[in-house]
Amino acid sequence: MQLTQRAKHVDRHPMTWIERLYFWNILKGMLITLRHLFKRKATINFPEQKRSFSSVFRGLHVLNRDEEGRERCTACGLCAVACPAEAITMEAAERLPGEEQLYREEKYAAKYEINMLRCIFCGLCEEACPKDAIYLSQTFAPSNYSRKGFIYKKDDMLIPNPLTEPETYKKALGERPAKMIGNQ
Amino acid sequence: MAKVFIDDIEYEVPDGKNMLEVCLSLGFDLTYFCWHPALHSIGACRQCGVINYKDENDKRGRITMACMLPASNGTRISIEAKAAHDFRAGNIESLMLNHPHDCPVCDEGGECHLQDMTLMSGHNYRRYRFKKRTHTNQYLGPFLNHEMNRCIQCYRCVRFYKDYAGGKDLDVFAAHDDIYFGRSEDGVLENEFSGNLVEVCPTGVFTDKTLKQHYTRKWDLTSAPSVCHGCSLGCNILASQRYGTIRRILTRYNGDVNGYFLCDRGRFGYEYTNSKKRIIKALKRVSGTYQPIENGNAFEEVKALMGEGKKVIGIGSPRASLESNFLLKELVGENNFYGGISNTEGNLIKQVIDILKKGKVKTPSLAEAKGYDAVFIVGEDVTNTAPMLALSLRQAAKNKPNEEAFAIRIPLWNDVAIREIVQERTGPFFIATVHHTKLDEISSGSFYGHPDNIARLGHAVAQKINNNLPSVPDADRESASLSSSIAEALLAAKKPLIVSGTSLFSKNVIEAAANVAYALKEQGKDVGLIYTVPEANSVGMTLLSENFVDDAIARVEKERADVLLILENDLYQRIGKKDSEAILKRCNQVVAFENLENETTNSCDYLFPAGTFAESTGTIVNNEGRAQRFYQVHIPRNEVRSSWKWLDILRQDLQTAEAKDFDAIVDELIQKNPELQKIKETAPTADFRIGTQKIPRSPHRFSGRTSMIANINVSEPKPPVDNDSPMSFTMEGYHGIQPSPDTAFYWSPAWNSVQAINKYQIEVGGPLHDGNPGKRLFEPDENRQAKYFNDIPSSFHPSNDELLVLPLYHIYGSEELTALSHAVKERIPQAYIALNENEARRKGLNAEGGKVEFYYQDKKWELSLKIDNSLPDGIAGLPKGLNETSGIGYPFRTKINS
Ligand code: SF4
Ligand code: SF4
Ligand code: SF4
Ligand code: SF4
Ligand code: FES
Repeated sequence: MQLTQRAKHVDRHPMTWIERLYFWNILKGMLITLRHLFKRKATINFPEQKRSFSSVFRGLHVLNRDEEGRERCTACGLCAVACPAEAITMEAAERLPGEEQLYREEKYAAKYEINMLRCIFCGLCEEACPKDAIYLSQTFAPSNYSRKGFIYKKDDMLIPNPLTEPETYKKALGERPAKMIGNQ
Repeated sequence: MAKVFIDDIEYEVPDGKNMLEVCLSLGFDLTYFCWHPALHSIGACRQCGVINYKDENDKRGRITMACMLPASNGTRISIEAKAAHDFRAGNIESLMLNHPHDCPVCDEGGECHLQDMTLMSGHNYRRYRFKKRTHTNQYLGPFLNHEMNRCIQCYRCVRFYKDYAGGKDLDVFAAHDDIYFGRSEDGVLENEFSGNLVEVCPTGVFTDKTLKQHYTRKWDLTSAPSVCHGCSLGCNILASQRYGTIRRILTRYNGDVNGYFLCDRGRFGYEYTNSKKRIIKALKRVSGTYQPIENGNAFEEVKALMGEGKKVIGIGSPRASLESNFLLKELVGENNFYGGISNTEGNLIKQVIDILKKGKVKTPSLAEAKGYDAVFIVGEDVTNTAPMLALSLRQAAKNKPNEEAFAIRIPLWNDVAIREIVQERTGPFFIATVHHTKLDEISSGSFYGHPDNIARLGHAVAQKINNNLPSVPDADRESASLSSSIAEALLAAKKPLIVSGTSLFSKNVIEAAANVAYALKEQGKDVGLIYTVPEANSVGMTLLSENFVDDAIARVEKERADVLLILENDLYQRIGKKDSEAILKRCNQVVAFENLENETTNSCDYLFPAGTFAESTGTIVNNEGRAQRFYQVHIPRNEVRSSWKWLDILRQDLQTAEAKDFDAIVDELIQKNPELQKIKETAPTADFRIGTQKIPRSPHRFSGRTSMIANINVSEPKPPVDNDSPMSFTMEGYHGIQPSPDTAFYWSPAWNSVQAINKYQIEVGGPLHDGNPGKRLFEPDENRQAKYFNDIPSSFHPSNDELLVLPLYHIYGSEELTALSHAVKERIPQAYIALNENEARRKGLNAEGGKVEFYYQDKKWELSLKIDNSLPDGIAGLPKGLNETSGIGYPFRTKINS
């Protein structure tokens, strides 16, 4: 019984004498290689050259700031509870008087960690966040020498301050339409 | 039984209920705010609207509040009718007009009754687009956070605080859509039960300020059913942790004990478990300082010390579990084990136990105490020594006046009507104490005197109830008339309740209270007799102890001991400096199993890190003789563990030593102490499973499992296994209704708040599905002849130059461990010495706050003067257990100087 149209039958016919000649098959292989020399390249010169991503590509997480540079995250825990990989963990702290410039809400994440080894980049955290505080950027996870290096801390994810470092902020923002990250 | 119809289906329901209770008990998801099973109905929030039909022909019906509708025969309602549905959704919508949109920021989020009810009502889109009214929040002290904007005006807070708990400083202000619930000005909420507002308030107006310091959502907490160690009542608690520190305490419902509530000492006094002063590894003292020592070596060295022929003694603890005390006793041998309290205290507790066991009068539980209609307190400042009992007694005081309402057929649940009739009146309530206590505000007669005079008053009351008893010699006229009116009131009551305890260290007081109860029993009264004892497991430890610390001192004085083992006991606190030093000096090596550094641990040779209630599993026995199981919340990432585990390893062959599991210890314990047989039944054994499943400590939404400890260990070790209970430390396990002693959190689909407890009860507000946890070890023998106590003390005569110093208790401060918690610390009073004005003047003191000097055990103490005119002449009061007064044994006599 055939389950799909794409099944390939194994060809078990005895080889002809030409086929039995070693050079014939070698030649066939070389021809394929040769053909590829004239085709378009499948690889790019990463990192000098970068691929363009779809606008909904989900890469590394960014913890967002608002237009005044205040951290948006209020440590509500909704991203963590939505996360199917259970990869997010955080600890909340109370904003103290005088810290209003730092944190948008009266509670903030003192600690915020994502285990990137576990994350499946599903984007549910971004979807769950009521404060537009977390979104998946267009950077994908870089390599690292140790497993520990994949435990991303808050500092690894916090976006640069748009007021003091507009350039790096812009870069971190990537090409995502600003409205998707709630700053407009 | 009454027949009611809900959406055209007939149900049989018990009489005397309202339709809301009935619907909830039947499992319907009907929305409500203002009704609370302990506070009953006032019909204020309009959220429980249903359609009520006259009869089966009535097709239109009318909207009625289910909580105000009696569930009488033939009542017909519809919950599902569209009009009812729309009404409830509309009502929520209007409640939400001014409610901020801040669930993510709100501490209540995820366990909020308002969130649950909003979803349940079907209101899900906010049409209101205008400015909301905002309020200023108040500072309410170290326990509670106030966020008034979240209020939905259900009135539960003031009804609990004022009507139920007798608070004075929380009220409702202003009018129409600008109603404000708070204090008249910023300041500490004074009531001892204010913490219950966290659970009573259906929104995030009142939230736990201590939780805020280390905030964690309900779904992220790992919790264990536990028992409060704050006093002898043994209220049931849920203790929760995350990242290895305890985050908060919530009420664990036990219909026989604390019901829906806790006192603030119990709720906010947990932070000592996270203290920096915790002993977290085995330590050995090497030339004066403690050095960490490897467990195995510690065992071997201590074992070597205790070898053949060595004189080893052990001191138990009234705050350690039965199992730990038992194993210490096993380790050192029966004759070398001493209960960790003074002989005076030990003998008092023994006497209390004796009365519980052999007396013929019932000792009601904390919940049953609410059902008595006349109260006589003999020598106990209940609010400060056993706080939740004070809350029960406040309810008991309402029973007599409530009868007036019942007489005109107003049911108990109709709280508005009852309040209207009763107003502020209270039933017969008499108090005899050393000084003015908080319950005096509801008393019908108070007496202040020396413990002996309190006892004399008790004897006089007993004599007036039973004329065959010897009369009290030389009774003065005043107390004679008071005793007559007390006797009269107790005799007129249906269910009189006598409350006494050990706090005054007076045998006479305990005996007098028993006499009153016995006399009433002989008159055929359904009388209750409650004694409070000093600590969480005072009764349990005393059941295992023949001798106490004074005996140990006498023994080492005679003959030095080689090794002294101290179990979770700061001797300096319990028996004072002089005695502690006496014993510590006469023992060559001192080994302590302790939670926190304290004065005693300063002079030990080996220290083993013992678990507090948070890291231990065990059984304790409360003042009523109820054995209750508490479970460890987590296995900490250090060496802390239940003391019994250390002790068990120490008594084994070290080559093969591994702590036995809990059930094996319990079996051994009851085999050697058959009278404790029932502790085995207090909770299921560790091999208990529901189907094949364990019982989870975390809810199924628990988050961060692959990242929580990734910063410590990326490779995600297997979660710890609990061999001592049928519970897992994770979310794995059975998520239905768990056995009542092993319920770690309350949750049911659509019910995320604490009100999910409705689903765990057979009938809302009643017992839990498989019975309330805990087993009473002794029951009174009704058929016994009362054996009266005949020692009537003579009246106290103040001496001219010396004062008698008695302990005064403080809910915050008088308990050793809770006093170390940050929030509680803020509420501990300044140390003082209290005298009445006369006495102060006679001593040449006049200004409150002035320095007073006195001597205790040859040491000079200096405290500031507090004038308390309720104190009798010749008596001074010292706050018990504060830092400045710790280690004082009461009562004592002293001279004072200014
Ligand atoms: S992208 Fe998905 S898996 Fe990764 S942290 Fe967010 S919710 Fe979790
Ligand atoms: S990132 Fe968003 S969802 Fe996650 S805790 Fe912060 S505010 Fe909440
Ligand atoms: S503060 Fe809470 S309990 Fe009080 S009325 Fe408002 S919502 Fe109800
Ligand atoms: S009354 Fe006692 S047992 Fe109950 S919560 Fe308070 S301190 Fe704990
Ligand atoms: S619960 Fe019935 S009116 Fe509030």
